[in-house]
Amino acid sequence: MPTLEMRLQRYRPEQDSAPHWQDFRVEYDDSTSVLDALEQIKAEQDSSLSYRWSCRMAICGSCGIMVNGVPKLGCKTFLRDYPKGLQLAPLGNFPVEKDLIVDMSRFLEHLTAIKPYLIAEAAPQGQPHRQTPAQLARYKQFSNCINCGLCYAACPQFGLKPDFLGPAAIALAHRYNLDSRDSGKAERMAQLNSDNGVWGCTFVGYCSTVCPKGVDPAAAVNQGKIASTLDGVIQWFKPAKEPRNKEQSK
Amino acid sequence: MSRKPYQPPMPASWWLKHPAYRFYMLREATVVPLLFFVASLLYGLYALGQGEASWLHYLAWLQQPWVIALNSLALVASLFHAWTFFALFPQVMPLRFGSRTLPAWLMVSAQWAGVLLVILALWWLLGGVDAHQ
Ligand code: SF4
Ligand code: FES
Repeated sequence: MPTLEMRLQRYRPEQDSAPHWQDFRVEYDDSTSVLDALEQIKAEQDSSLSYRWSCRMAICGSCGIMVNGVPKLGCKTFLRDYPKGLQLAPLGNFPVEKDLIVDMSRFLEHLTAIKPYLIAEAAPQGQPHRQTPAQLARYKQFSNCINCGLCYAACPQFGLKPDFLGPAAIALAHRYNLDSRDSGKAERMAQLNSDNGVWGCTFVGYCSTVCPKGVDPAAAVNQGKIASTLDGVIQWFKPAKEPRNKEQSK
Repeated sequence: MSRKPYQPPMPASWWLKHPAYRFYMLREATVVPLLFFVASLLYGLYALGQGEASWLHYLAWLQQPWVIALNSLALVASLFHAWTFFALFPQVMPLRFGSRTLPAWLMVSAQWAGVLLVILALWWLLGGVDAHQ
């Protein structure tokens, strides 16, 4: 079997003050994924290596990792595509917990903040919530997100300002706002309208390039800017009953 | 056991790290030559208000090679910016008909067709001015 050079970023919080690189050599064939290679290293060379994974099929979103500086899913990235070897580092823009594991709580907090669930009146007794194919098509693409956080590792605005809600959270807010069954838009707009919402985005667009699920979060965020502007105009003309403005959401 | 997460630094040179970031910075940098173009336009308006001598002086200033070079750069920069803007437009404002979306290439081509129309209209207008003289 051919072998390949892999350079891994290690960080052991008990001993290290900063991460360092460690080289490994792994056997691989056409079907060896980065995740397989990590498992090989852990089983045969260094059992102290830490990384995250679960489904091995690009569904759970736990195996996000930087491959040669690019955010990737370890289970969906193959050694055969890196004949010159590869460098693995933890997902960018997140605090590193240990080795290749990052602390994603910032992302999860942002996700929670935008209420990523249907806020809807209960359907009439015993009836399903009906939706036409056209209504489904409006948001379907944005519902494919697996919360892997690759887009956050790609987003310099999130790197510079971790309070920025970021691509996936805003894409999911947009997804529910577009859902014909949902009536929770008003509850999400305060978050989206703020400086840490859609207006924190400068359309670098790299989040959409790295997304392994074709969600195109950059499209969602920038469609969100239009929605936010319209919302502002509507608020302007509404009699001030319940003011819902930028200041409040901070 | 207590935690000790390592926060990776975000150096000022972050945008050098990947071609996508460099492309983004180039797009944003197109505003710099455009500022020069706007400044020379304002200077022209001012010169116009100051009378003929001033206006002629402005025309001579415009014809200096470095001014021509900077204004040409502004033209290239704005065309480049338009190109990136047009390419992003279908993402920001997808046109939907029922459950189908208008293909991005069609929207991009339509925008360039619009630019062509404006250029032709201007050309016709200015040509019209010439014919009267
Ligand atoms: S939008 Fe894409 S890259 Fe971002 S978390 Fe969802 S699936 Fe991952
Ligand atoms: S292991 Fe689940 S997405 Fe890679």
